[in-house]
Amino acid sequence: MIELRNVSLRYGAREILKNVSLTIEDKKVKAILGPSGVGKSTIIKLMLGLIKPTSGQVLVDDVDITHFSEVELFPIRQKMGIVFQGNALFDSMTITENMSFFLRENLNLPENEIVARVQEQMKFAGLEGFENNLPDSLSGGMRKRVAIGRALIFHPSMILFDEPTAGLDPVSSKKILDLIKRLQSEIGLGAVIVTHILSDVFAVADSVAVLYQGGIIFNDVPQKLYDSTHSFITSFLSNPED
Amino acid sequence: MWKLAQAYSASFEEKLKGITFSMQDFLFFSLRAFRAIGASKRYWRDVLDQAYICGTESLPILLVSALSIGSLIVIEVGHQLAEFGAKTMTGRSVALSVVREISPLVAGLMLAARIGARNSSELGAMQISEQIDALRAFGTDPIAKLVVPRLVASFLMFIPLIALCDLVGLISGAYLAEWDLHLDRGIYWNSVIDILRPMDWLVGFSKPPVFAIGISLISCYTGFSTTGGTAGVGKSTIKGIVYSSAFVLVMNFYLSKVILDLMRG
Ligand SMILES: Nc1ncnc2c1ncn2[C@@H]1O[C@H](COP(=O)(O)OP(=O)(O)O)[C@@H](O)[C@H]1O
Ligand SMILES: [Mg+2]
Repeated sequence: MIELRNVSLRYGAREILKNVSLTIEDKKVKAILGPSGVGKSTIIKLMLGLIKPTSGQVLVDDVDITHFSEVELFPIRQKMGIVFQGNALFDSMTITENMSFFLRENLNLPENEIVARVQEQMKFAGLEGFENNLPDSLSGGMRKRVAIGRALIFHPSMILFDEPTAGLDPVSSKKILDLIKRLQSEIGLGAVIVTHILSDVFAVADSVAVLYQGGIIFNDVPQKLYDSTHSFITSFLSNPED
Repeated sequence: MWKLAQAYSASFEEKLKGITFSMQDFLFFSLRAFRAIGASKRYWRDVLDQAYICGTESLPILLVSALSIGSLIVIEVGHQLAEFGAKTMTGRSVALSVVREISPLVAGLMLAARIGARNSSELGAMQISEQIDALRAFGTDPIAKLVVPRLVASFLMFIPLIALCDLVGLISGAYLAEWDLHLDRGIYWNSVIDILRPMDWLVGFSKPPVFAIGISLISCYTGFSTTGGTAGVGKSTIKGIVYSSAFVLVMNFYLSKVILDLMRG
């Protein structure tokens, strides 16, 4: 479970998040919907302790991680995989190396266990046969799946997606969204998906929070979006490309 | 008028605050790099890679620069001396200026440009593509993995690089003195060896380690603090080169001044 309590964040004079409170339940897919530049990536990074809030608290499984050091954060971060918007793969490493890198770095596993874990992810993501490719030689959808495989390498209980379908074609988008659904149904993996794409929300989310001008203006199941009278949501629903 | 002045002083104050803040940030960054220095054992492969990039790959441009330095000094100083019938002193002037000042300075500037540009742009690109965040998110200290190998590699490579520059500078001086001034090479080398005291080597070789640390930390820091997309990478690259070069210029002067003053008592 991840919980933001009255979290505010400012960059200089600009207040990006104002008193945001939000709870992410285990085994559920939570979407955070908002226009670009509203602070969606920022929220994800707050959850991992990559950014510290100006005020308020971040709790993971009831532990207040707000003031944790990098070393203290590591066991927490192991519980949460992250898929960055641009994947953030290491471009000089092959797909297998990208996946095994952090295993080798941080866990003292025997070599056969490392190979097994990487193979498991390659298979799940449908990447067999591309073991020795460099990320640049793959399509956008495949790179995204490599990033998902890497995010799952520590067997986390939650996975965070920063705009998982941004920049992908409709077919690849659907594959990624299906994969997210499968992760939830097959291994009970909870997910946070920040996105500005409404159809993603309806495709995978159990519930959705809408972030607008620094605050959460809606937090409920996706269908309830249609009942909202908030002007931003109504205009977003009628004009979802914004 | 008063309003304008107020606005200016306000924005000046903001800038000053910004600079103080970055200085403090840079200091913390440097401290973290030094504290993580033990990681160079763990990332010895990265150290080797970086040593190759900063040592072997820098060699051609450094040698070309060194070649022109030695020759240049002979042309400028040698002829002056010859006018006074003192061309046998050419070796002394070349030796002192090459070993103490010009070779470290020119090599330092070249390295500031090469290493400064490379670190700040490469790490800047990693920053904006969130690869540095990815390292942290999956439990690897980016300073240990990315900064320490660069720092250690340049620390190890700068002294031999500058020693080579010294040597090439002196040799090119010898050849040019022979061709241009018809000065016997034996006389040249005798005066070179005569004049160079330990103090001169000390001045010359105190510089490369300081340059290595300064250039690496400055350019890695500007890379790490990149924001604002591809344009941001451009800006950090400029900063990386400019600040590193300025550091080299300033430190070159101070190190000479301080050490020479101390030695002369
Ligand atoms: N390091 C930073 N310094 C200053 N402003 C920043 C920084 N990072 C992000 N911002 C600003 O914070 C806002 C939210 O950023 P972000 O979370 O990336 O938005 P989103 O992911 O919703 O598009 C943006 O307006 C961005 O310009
Ligand atoms: Mg974003």
